[in-house]
Formats: sequence, C-alpha cells, structure tokens
Amino acid sequence: MSYARRALAVAWKDLAVERRSKETLNALVFFSLLLLFVFQFTLGGDRERLAAVLPGVLWLGFVLSALLALGRTFLVEREHDCWEGLLLAPGDKSAIYLGKLAGNLALMLVVEALVLGLFVVFFDIDLGRALPGLLVVVLLGTLGLAAVGTLFAAMTANVRARELLFPVLLLPVQIPVLLATVKATEALLLGEPLGAVGHWVKLLLAADVVYVVVSLLTFDVVLEA
Amino acid sequence: MPDHWSFVAAAYGLTAAVLLIYWRRLATKEREVEASKRLNAERSREPSITGHPRSEPASRTPLQQNQRPGAPLP
Amino acid sequence: MVKTLGWLTAAALAAGLVMAFGVAPREVTQGNVQRIMYVHVPLILASYVAFVVLAVASLVYLVRRDLAADRVAHASGEVGVMFVGLGIATGSIWGKPTWGTWWTWDARLTSVAILFVMYLGYLLLRGTIDDPERAARYCAVLGIVAALDIPLVHFSVYWWRTLHQPPSLMKPGGFTGSSSILWPLLVNLLAFILLYVYFVARRARLLRAQAEAIA
Repeated sequence: MSYARRALAVAWKDLAVERRSKETLNALVFFSLLLLFVFQFTLGGDRERLAAVLPGVLWLGFVLSALLALGRTFLVEREHDCWEGLLLAPGDKSAIYLGKLAGNLALMLVVEALVLGLFVVFFDIDLGRALPGLLVVVLLGTLGLAAVGTLFAAMTANVRARELLFPVLLLPVQIPVLLATVKATEALLLGEPLGAVGHWVKLLLAADVVYVVVSLLTFDVVLEA
Repeated sequence: MPDHWSFVAAAYGLTAAVLLIYWRRLATKEREVEASKRLNAERSREPSITGHPRSEPASRTPLQQNQRPGAPLP
Repeated sequence: MVKTLGWLTAAALAAGLVMAFGVAPREVTQGNVQRIMYVHVPLILASYVAFVVLAVASLVYLVRRDLAADRVAHASGEVGVMFVGLGIATGSIWGKPTWGTWWTWDARLTSVAILFVMYLGYLLLRGTIDDPERAARYCAVLGIVAALDIPLVHFSVYWWRTLHQPPSLMKPGGFTGSSSILWPLLVNLLAFILLYVYFVARRARLLRAQAEAIA
C-alpha cells in the first residue's frame, strides 16, 4: 500500500467508527449547545458588549470543543484494545499521524460549522462578506490546533492524568494560533478584507507548516514501543 | 524620583533566597542518593547462604541465644 | 571540576553585586530602583540560553539516544523555568515603583510569561512519566516543538500588542547605551550564565546518580 493509501485507511477507519457510533460527535454537539448557554449567561444580554467580545468567544468555543475532541484521538484504540494493532501497521508511522490528523480535522470542522451556525442564530452575527475570509482563517487555525493536538494526544495517551496534561501542554503552544485567529476574525467581522489581516494569515500558514512538518518527523519517536 | 530601596532589596532578596534554596536542595538530594548507594553496596557485600541479596532471618543471631539463662544482660 | 565551577560562579556573582551596587551609577530618572535591572535582565537572558540548550539537547537525544543528553535537557528545563520565574518576579517588583503596576500585558512581558507556562508544562510532562526512556522521548519532542514555537509566539504577541495600539512607553532597557550601565550588566550576565552552567552540571550529575541508585 502506498503512503497516502495507508494514511487514508486510518482516517477512513476513524470516520467510519465515528459515523456508526457517533460517540464523540453527539457529545460535542451537545457540548457546543451548552457553551452557548454558558456564554450567554456569563456575558449578559448587552448587544454591544457581546459584539466586542464575540470573536474571542467564538474561538473559545472552538478551542474548548477542540480540546475535548483532540484529547480523545487515540482513546478509541485504547478503549477497544487496538493500540497494538495500530502500532503494527506496516511502513512509516507518520502515515498514521496524517490519517489521524485528517480524521480530527473533519470532525472539528463539522463541530465548528455547527458552533458558527449557532452563533449566527443566537448572537445575531452578520457574516455577509466576511464569510470567505473567515473560512480561510478558520481552516488554517483549525489545522494548527489539530496538528499539534494530534501529536500531543499520542504523547498523553499513555500518561497518567492525561485529561489534565493534554490541555496544559496544548494551550501554551497554541497561543500564537489563538492570537492570530481571534485578531483576524475580529477584523473580518468588522468588515475588513482578508488582505488587511494578511500578516495574521501568513503567521497561521507558517505555524501550520512548522507544526505539521515537526509532527510528521517526530511521530515515529512518539509511537515507539 | 525616590529610590525605593525596599523594592531593590525585595528583588535581590527573593532571587538570592530562591537560588540558595535550590542549591541547598541539590546538595541534600545528592547526600541522600550517596547514602542510599552506600547502603545498597553494604547490603550486597553481606554474605548470603541462599543467594538472597539480604541476609536470611535464620542466619541472624539474636542476643539471647549466646547468653546463659539467668545471666545479666550486658 | 564542578566544584571549581561553583567557586568561579560564586566569585562572578559577588563581582556582579559589586558592579551593580558599587560601580553602576544611580540612574537619573528612575533612581536606585533601576539597579534591579542587573539581576532581572541576566536572569531572563540566561533562561533563553537554557531553553536553547534544552532544544539542542532534545535533538541530540533523538539522534543519538544517549540519556546523558536527556539529563542535560531535563536540568536545563528546571533551571530555565526557575530563572524565568525569578525574572518575571523581579521584573514585577521593578515595575511596581516605575510603571505603577505589577503587571502589564506588554509584548515582551507576555511572551516571557508564555515561555514560562510552556516550559512549566514540559516539567509537568516529565513528572507524570515513570519510564525514563519514554520520558526522554516525549520530552524531547515537546522540547523541539516548544523551541520552534518561540519565534511564532514572539511575532504573534508583538503584532497583537503593537498593531492596534502604540507600544508601551516605558520599557526596561529603553535607556541602555551608556557604558557605565553596560559593563555591570555584562558582568552580571556572565555570572548568571555561569550559575546556569553550574546548576545544570550538578543537576545532571544528580539525575545520573538517581538513575543509578534505582537501577
């Protein structure tokens, strides 16, 4: 099997499991609904104040659901005792990483689309012209989150207190991505064109490249038994 | 502008205290490890009939065994 | 050898103190409180040295699989986090009388704070893995990711702080340039780098002794 096909096999397996059981997806959808309540109650009904913090809150929603989703990346294998099976996959282990990354990316994008939809309805955001630019920013930001998240999930899968350690390791490393996405989203929602936030998009691109390349190179080391 | 000597003292004092505590901790840990190493070395040097790393309980001689009954304790 | 290094470090630190309080002049605008700089700046710079050494040692471990490299990385992480923590604390103590606040979200302060939490996470990860070989592998990966993240953090925080509002007016180091301040600073910097090397040498030696005692 070629490298790409092996990566696809892992991604397809995860998505098939998820499609049939809907374990993670159901919980995440419910969680993002709950987040809506939390944000509404903590921020109050003041429209103007809400509009000012909306980009940050939106990304807070994305990040919180990402922490839940990404942290579970390798738990399917652990809970069903398939860890060894995954390790025994022939060839370069980084194919497993790519597959897991693709699966995570798909899952997160579904959840984020849902969260964004809920925000549009409940917080009355006018996406309008901002949508194409927003899509670019969300895509790049999510890729950054998922790239490091998948790597760290593999690291923390076999560690004590993994639910605690995963966010503690991921969040500090992801601060550049968070700053870039929140600032870019803020500008885009104010009606500025994508060109105005070019430096943030470049930063996100650089971050994504760095994260994916480093993860591909080091994933073999993490999975060593 | 006033000199704020108390802030200077606080900054230097805090740094000195933390660095000293770390230095002392290193020294204590080193001594602990040395002591446990020496203990392990002594234990492994003890003769053992059964090949156990520690002496067998049966091979130890209690004090009373070597004394005649009724004799005063040393 | 470590002992000689220790005495050398002690001498350098003493010289640094003499320079900071005896040689360096009283700063014109800030007064004597500016003397905090001679401990604050060397601490932060030495911690950067520590994190660079950590990244290099991590890379060396992954290539050579030598636990000695991992011990250097571990020791550097510990000393580096301690130095950054102290640097933030001394900076805070300096900030209160000069800026009127213990903390502001200025670009430089923020990126140093992010560095602190990032490497605190590194030490946490080390603490939760019992198998030394696995701890070395995971921490080496994290050390490399963190090191590559430093420039990203730097740029993002800089843009975050400066593009939408003017940079903060009073920054430590905004008045450098005169040699009467430069020399005391350099002596202290050398002293703290020596201290870092000394601590790492002792910590790494201790880590080896601990590993041998368990084995």
